[in-house]
Amino acid sequence: MKSLVCLKQVPDTETQIKVNPEGTGIVTEGIKHIINPYDEFSVEEALRLKEKFKEGEVVILAIGPDRATESIRTALAMGADRGIHVNDPAVNTADPFAVAQALAAAAKDVQYDVIFCGHRAIDDDFCEVGAMLAEFLGLPQVTLVTKVEVAADKKSAILERDIEGGKETVEVPLPCVVTSQKGLNEPRYASLPGIMKAKKKPIDAKNAAALGVSVEAKLQSKEYSMPPERKAGKKIEGLEPPDAAKQVVQALRNEAKII
Amino acid sequence: MAERFMSERNLKFVLYEVLDLESLTKLPYYQDHSREIFDLTLDTAIRMGRDLLAPAFQEMDKQQPQLVNGEVKVHSLVRTFMKESGEGGWIGAGFPYDAGGQQLPTTVAMAAGFVFGAANFAAGAYPLLTTGASHLILSFGSDELREIYVPQMLSGKWQGTMALTEPQAGSSLSDITTRAEPTDEGYYKIFGQKIFISAGDHSGVDNVIHLMLAKIKGAPLGVKGISLFVVPKKRLDPDGTLVSNDVTTVGVYHKMGYKGCPITQLSMGENGDCRGYLVGEPHKGLSYMFQMMNEARLGVGMQATSIAAAAYYASLEYAGERPQGRKIATKDPSLPQVPIIEHADVRRMLLFQRAITEGSLSLLLQCSLYADLAAHSEGEEKERYDLLLDLLTPVAKSYPSEMGILSVSQGLQILGGYGYCDEFPLEQYYRDIRIHPIHEGTTGIQALDLLGRKVVMKNGAAARLYFEEVYQAITPALQDPTLKPYAEKLQEALGTLQAVTTHLVGFALKGEVELFLADATLYLELFGIIAVAWQWLLQGLAAQEGLQAGPTEQEALFYQGKLMTMRYFYHYEFPKIQGLATRLTDGVAVTTEMNRELFAD
Repeated sequence: MKSLVCLKQVPDTETQIKVNPEGTGIVTEGIKHIINPYDEFSVEEALRLKEKFKEGEVVILAIGPDRATESIRTALAMGADRGIHVNDPAVNTADPFAVAQALAAAAKDVQYDVIFCGHRAIDDDFCEVGAMLAEFLGLPQVTLVTKVEVAADKKSAILERDIEGGKETVEVPLPCVVTSQKGLNEPRYASLPGIMKAKKKPIDAKNAAALGVSVEAKLQSKEYSMPPERKAGKKIEGLEPPDAAKQVVQALRNEAKII
Repeated sequence: MAERFMSERNLKFVLYEVLDLESLTKLPYYQDHSREIFDLTLDTAIRMGRDLLAPAFQEMDKQQPQLVNGEVKVHSLVRTFMKESGEGGWIGAGFPYDAGGQQLPTTVAMAAGFVFGAANFAAGAYPLLTTGASHLILSFGSDELREIYVPQMLSGKWQGTMALTEPQAGSSLSDITTRAEPTDEGYYKIFGQKIFISAGDHSGVDNVIHLMLAKIKGAPLGVKGISLFVVPKKRLDPDGTLVSNDVTTVGVYHKMGYKGCPITQLSMGENGDCRGYLVGEPHKGLSYMFQMMNEARLGVGMQATSIAAAAYYASLEYAGERPQGRKIATKDPSLPQVPIIEHADVRRMLLFQRAITEGSLSLLLQCSLYADLAAHSEGEEKERYDLLLDLLTPVAKSYPSEMGILSVSQGLQILGGYGYCDEFPLEQYYRDIRIHPIHEGTTGIQALDLLGRKVVMKNGAAARLYFEEVYQAITPALQDPTLKPYAEKLQEALGTLQAVTTHLVGFALKGEVELFLADATLYLELFGIIAVAWQWLLQGLAAQEGLQAGPTEQEALFYQGKLMTMRYFYHYEFPKIQGLATRLTDGVAVTTEMNRELFAD
């Protein structure tokens, strides 16, 4: 069972994000980065499939600057077999369209039964790469997947996906693109033997030229800004409840202008 | 529990910038390792701490272990964590490759232990005990013992313990009475009682392996008649099934803290069928056990540090959020209240916590580094690191344990009434940390070890080496205008320490052993403050270096915070050595002249 796992490195959820003074992005210096949690579900699912079929390969494909190697290494320490690191300034911070183009180009040299993507990345929240990648590769895709059952002949899979208020079960021919949703599994921790082995596993570094793509971004980010700081609330004190209620209604109508 | 229980930045500062951990990878034993591997290891430990251990921290305190039908039921996390620790390779991390380990430096393993302890000290204790016990079998046991026990213990399926204490023999191990009767079958029959055995029986594993001290019938009196045995809860039948080995769990103690890990009372041989397997040679048990005890002593110091660290971050978080009062200089009641971190006295308490915690962490990792260097060097160099480690082990066990209690207490104080209530974790930290000056040799025992044994051994060779090490920090610090005043203070303190030592050893030379050792605990305290001051000067050097390298704004704040905490230590904690030195040299006998009658009423 061969899986290609697309992985993005994102700021740790516990990091305090600051916008850089130019407003062109966030300050990345000094912050901790992690594997996008939805991609971590993907890594885990791919490892489980390989273990279940007792054969195959798990390849990690990531786009990002030098530090993205750390996240690939973490996935290798979890048990993945090898990594492909696309590191090119033209792609690293590009829009989902360009990222999907680069991923599709890199995927052409890899054999796979399934391509896993996180259903979204927790930093920019576009939720687009999986769908675009499937389109570029001409593959079917199933989004928000919480359960994967691959047929013994690896020609199809039964997938369970989240829908509003419930679950939908679908059958899909393989190969396909699956986007992982929370609930798919509990990702394992890297083991120490895994960490030692990860050091020796290959990570193939590539740039856009080597992939033979010239990416064309469709979006340009204009400005990054922080949400306005919450203003202090107003306290209505020292009144009987009916009078206080009147004041609240007046304040909501005249000051907040929401009723 | 607070959001943050440790600082990754600080841990890496100590490991890489203060101790230069990466230099270890030049030793052939560690040649497969690298900073990348250490970082990945710590990163994984932090994730396990945050996602696996911390969520059960309070629950394990509230759902204490219960003795049900002869077996101790523990929280379900124990089995999960033992399994993760086994499968993840944490239990045997430092062992050689051929023994199923990863040859990870002790320093890194200790750092990971710090993370686990800060997240959930009680849970962290189970694998730690198993590491020590399996290391003992690996070091001194026969091939057969190694083959049967070590793999199962490293996998986390079998728990390891150290079974020393008996009802009548706690600190005084020479008085143990558990006896081992030889048989013709190659094993001994064990009879006796053990108490206070941590993780001595529990539902989180399939078997428990006690590394137990006992006396072989007819052995010499005292410590020279003590032997070490492997005594399993269940033994392997020839057909490979596990059967009862006549080790009965008689009771579980109800403790004030550390409630997530049972401390048990065990009875061996009630039916005359408890088998023990001799480790190494007869009558050498205590010297073998010292390997585990010394490792465990550093482990205890680290656990105390980890609890103190978690408490520090909890009170720091609270101090930044809790509005109370106004700045002393502006008592205008119409102004909004300020968070209590704005009050100097609250900052004093926070600085106290930070100075104790980060100073202790640094000292313990320094000792771990000596352990790594001693284990993998030869000749004179090996002896140097062995002696330094021997000398500093009682200090690195006691200072964090004793001062950690005070540190958590100050943290609790910051929360005021909330600190005293179980809605916040401080009261649990306060209860949890109290065990540390007691187990693995009380502070009194550590003090006797330091003054009565370590300082004077080989004509003071260890102390001389230690002074050399401290001078390696003083010399460069004297060249730095910011650090110079502190380097001078430390230099002066070494003179004080020397004078106190000479004075006390003078009693020993005159044969007045009582007077020599009566105040050993105060001597240990004095020694500890100076040792931590040394570590703070090292941290000051590293922080200055960091500042000179043109750091980012955030990094600069980190280094400046370090320097400020160093200043705090030298101006608030360090002066205490003067009072201690005065007492230790004034020559007035008090505790030795006091007697029971004078305590009458």
